[in-house]
Order: sequence, then C-alpha cells, then structure tokens
Amino acid sequence: MNEFVEECQREWRRLGVPQPVANEMAADLTADLEEAEAEGASPEDVLGNSAFDPRRFAAAWAIARGVTGVPVPDRPSLWRRPVPLALTVVLGALVVFAGLVLVVGARGHSFAVVSRRIVTGSGSIHLFAPGPGRIVVPGPPGPFAVSQVGNANPIAFAVLALAVVGLAVLAVLCWLTWPGLRRFPRPGWRRTQRWN
Amino acid sequence: MLHGVLDLCLLAVMGEGPAYGYEMTKRLRERGLSIVGEGSIYPLLGRLERDGLVETHRAASNGGPPRKYYNLSAEGEQALTAGVSEWQATRDGVDGALGLVKAEVRP
Repeated sequence: MNEFVEECQREWRRLGVPQPVANEMAADLTADLEEAEAEGASPEDVLGNSAFDPRRFAAAWAIARGVTGVPVPDRPSLWRRPVPLALTVVLGALVVFAGLVLVVGARGHSFAVVSRRIVTGSGSIHLFAPGPGRIVVPGPPGPFAVSQVGNANPIAFAVLALAVVGLAVLAVLCWLTWPGLRRFPRPGWRRTQRWN
Repeated sequence: MLHGVLDLCLLAVMGEGPAYGYEMTKRLRERGLSIVGEGSIYPLLGRLERDGLVETHRAASNGGPPRKYYNLSAEGEQALTAGVSEWQATRDGVDGALGLVKAEVRP
C-alpha cells in the first residue's frame, strides 16, 4: 500500500469511517493506482489534483459515500458560542494579570499593575490615584506604566487559582462538545446520511 | 467542468457496461476527457451510489484483485436519459448564443 493510501487510511480513521469500509476503499484505490502505474500513468491521471492532497481526497470520498462516523453538529460547539468565548478571554486575562502580580510581588514583596499605555504622548498612564507607596515609571514613552500599591500576594494567588480552575472547567466542557471527539449521537446531533 | 456534467459523463460510460473506478477514468480519457479535475471521480461515484443511481458488485478483474464494479441502476438510466436531454437543450441554447459571435481565427 503506498503512502497516499496510508494517508487516506489515517484520515478515514480520524473521521470514524468503519474499518471494513475503509479497507474496501483502500483496496480499490490501491488496485487502481497499481494498474495505472503498470500502464505508465501517473497518480494524477487517476486522481486529478487530489493526488497532492490525500486527506482532502479521503474526506471528500468518505463524506460523499456517507460513511463518516463523526457527527456534524446542528449548532456551533461550545467554544464557538459567545458567552463561553468571552469567559475564556476574561479568565485568560485574569491568569496573566495574577501571574504578573505574583511574579513581580515575589521579587519586591509587592505587586505591580501593568497597564497598557493607551496614549502615545510623553506622560505615563496611572491606574491609581496619586498616593504613598505608588511608583510611576516616567517617560520616555514606553509601552507600560508600573504602579506599586502594596502586598496582595494571597489575593493574587486566589484569583490565579480560581481563573485556572475556571479555564479547566471550560476546557472540559469544550472537549465534551467537540464534534470530532464524540462518537455517539445524541439529540440535536445528526450523523451523515447512512452507513454503506 | 460544469456542475453535474461529469456525473452525467460517468453515467454515460457506465451505460456501456459495468466498470471499476480506473476503468471509467480510461473510458472518459478515450472520449477526450483526459482531465478528471480537482475532485477525481471517486467522490462522485460515492455520491451516485448513495443516491441509488448506480449499483455495485465485486468481481475479479483481468488477472488482478477483485474490483468494485459500478453499473447503472434503473434510476440511473432514467437520470441519464433526462440528463442527456437537458444537456442537449443547454448546448443548443449556448450554441445559439455563441453562434452570433464571429470568431477570428488567427494563424
């Protein structure tokens, strides 16, 4: 079996094509390619441009036959819906923020707020009102302004832990609703038309 | 190639007798369709089979391994007849429109 057919086999496995059906298609394809080669024809003569893209070819054939085991969702999977997506962004930002606070705090027994400069002038952008214990990094203009406001490592640690747990829960939920990973139909999902 | 026309050509070459995949490619090539195109004929054969326009059976080929032969079903024969009529009407219309153009043949 040549490399092209092996690549097709891998794609059919990934798409959940039943093994007997995949074996049958592989055998037919192998026989055709071998006959063409014996006659001096190239794989392109048999497969057209598909000879350069075995995965796409394999998927197109399996879908056309209606033998893919991967269900097609009628609605977008969880990670494509707006609320979980927004939640992921927020939790990710919290992880980065809390991580920065912990890293900087571990060095100087304080935590730093790193804010993105939103103006291009020479002044700095401050997140907190002027007061003691606050350090502002002055110009020349850089991308960040850093303010020291006090010890808050436990809070940062708690925020980090909660955000990580939240992301983990979201990841599990996305994994459970990922179309390519589910092998069994459930209400609201449909298989491709039929098994040959 | 126009959408659906290659399907019609496949049905037509199958009308000459059962054939396996590569055999149909060769029959098409003998009739001047040497470029199978982007998708190759296999997905099309899969779709025709799924739609019930062709029937399949396995049989030994000349000295080679058993092959999957495709032949027209009753529905396929009807589709071929209807498709040929439709194609001829389309071709006549296109010929009528393009016939007004005086093409210059340059050496």
